[in-house]
Amino acid sequence: MSKLKIYGYKCKNCGKVHYPHKSLCKNCKHDMFEDFEQVELPTNGKLLTFTNLHTPSGDFDVPILKLGIVELENGNRITGQLNIDEPKIGMSVKGVVKTVRKSDYENYKGIVFSKA
Amino acid sequence: MRDVYVLGIGITSFTRLEYPLYEIAAYPAKMAMKDAGIETVDHIFVSNMGGARLNNQTGLASAVVDNLSLLPAGAETIENGPASGASAIKAAYMAVASGLHDVVMATGAERMREVNNLDATDFVATLTHPLAEYIYGVTLPSLAGMFTRLYMDKYGITSRHLGMVAVKNHANAMNNFYAHLHQEITLDGILDSPEAMTNNPYVADPLRFFDCCPVSDGGACLILGTADAARRTGKPMIRLAGVGQATDTHCVFERDEPTDLLAVRGAAKKAFDMAGKSPCDVNVAELHDAFTVLEIVESEEVGFFNKGEGHIALEEGYTKLNGKLPINPSGGLKAKGHPVGATGIGQAHEIVLQLRGGAKKRQVENAKVGFTCNFGGFGNNVVCLVFERED
Repeated sequence: MSKLKIYGYKCKNCGKVHYPHKSLCKNCKHDMFEDFEQVELPTNGKLLTFTNLHTPSGDFDVPILKLGIVELENGNRITGQLNIDEPKIGMSVKGVVKTVRKSDYENYKGIVFSKA
Repeated sequence: MRDVYVLGIGITSFTRLEYPLYEIAAYPAKMAMKDAGIETVDHIFVSNMGGARLNNQTGLASAVVDNLSLLPAGAETIENGPASGASAIKAAYMAVASGLHDVVMATGAERMREVNNLDATDFVATLTHPLAEYIYGVTLPSLAGMFTRLYMDKYGITSRHLGMVAVKNHANAMNNFYAHLHQEITLDGILDSPEAMTNNPYVADPLRFFDCCPVSDGGACLILGTADAARRTGKPMIRLAGVGQATDTHCVFERDEPTDLLAVRGAAKKAFDMAGKSPCDVNVAELHDAFTVLEIVESEEVGFFNKGEGHIALEEGYTKLNGKLPINPSGGLKAKGHPVGATGIGQAHEIVLQLRGGAKKRQVENAKVGFTCNFGGFGNNVVCLVFERED
């Protein structure tokens, strides 16, 4: 099985990488509804903030769901789940892409960070 | 554009209501018509966020206008997340100011307790980005938790400051018959005592149970109209002097400075500029404290206090009912409750009551200018209103 990746959306006019996708570029307003380059995002970064959610929604079979916002090495930011015992603001983290949510119909893939 | 005035107001208790959604919207509407002494309106806007998902009810405005026997008046439902209420007031404002209609109703309703708390939280979480936030289990409390952690790190606010907001707003709600929570709390009970962890467990750390608003059912209504129509009511002349709205990134993580709430700042500035007022003119304010931290941060972003100093004003009692600028005399979302689609109208209801001098035990003395901030999403869509009493 090939390694799953997470992608950003690069404007073909000015080069800004968006995550998530925008129909018009935030920087130059270029129409990137379909005209964009899909680029692989780095999975390493720095933890900006986090929370331990004690009341996760019914799709999550865990008592506490750990969530965080990470600034990736290329400067893009992303929300992900955390697999870290004692998270700290500013710590280095590395991400893997895997199933983050299971509903009755679908397994959703996303990024999960652990201590780098 | 024509000046726009408040003709009548109405509200239900914010609590669990065993009525169909359209009746939760109709009850405050009939109260407001009685208050204004009118039997008909030209148009109604009904604000609601979750009818389709929680109550199996779409096209709510059509149900409400018929229930009120106001046919064939025009009727539309407004959905703008938790800012739906103020958005409906804004729509009514535009209808009167433009000259399209003379008397327009904005009535809001939500019935969230038809489902359990987890489903209600998951419903509100559908406000988040479906691919970049929601799939991870991001909920509004989790966004507020992450925001609070950063704010504490940067500006030195503590759990104690958050607790002080909760204690203040619970105390205010004791004097509000319509409030959801009539429960006086103390810092000792929620933070210091050995039982504090049981009384006040973590929800999304550093936020605890008493930092979060309850899940409420409820409705509220404001009727707006021309100066002539307002004079006929015989009530004090309360003018909707400023209406401002601004938006911010859908994903919270995309904000350049994640501790800024730029939509709050922008919406407040627009509302003050339009009214020709400044934040220091305000005598009473209702801010959107869905989480205690938001009352502090919004009090800074709208311009009442410098950035990073809202918690100091709170410590000094500046925002208490007898302080220099009382914030959330109704109890706020924290204790009055948060029926999402009705909340913004509930805030305006309180301000109009205060400016009329009819707020009884929680009356702010000599209130002439009032302000509301209705906060949608996690700050991605904000509507602010400035009301002024004209004597």
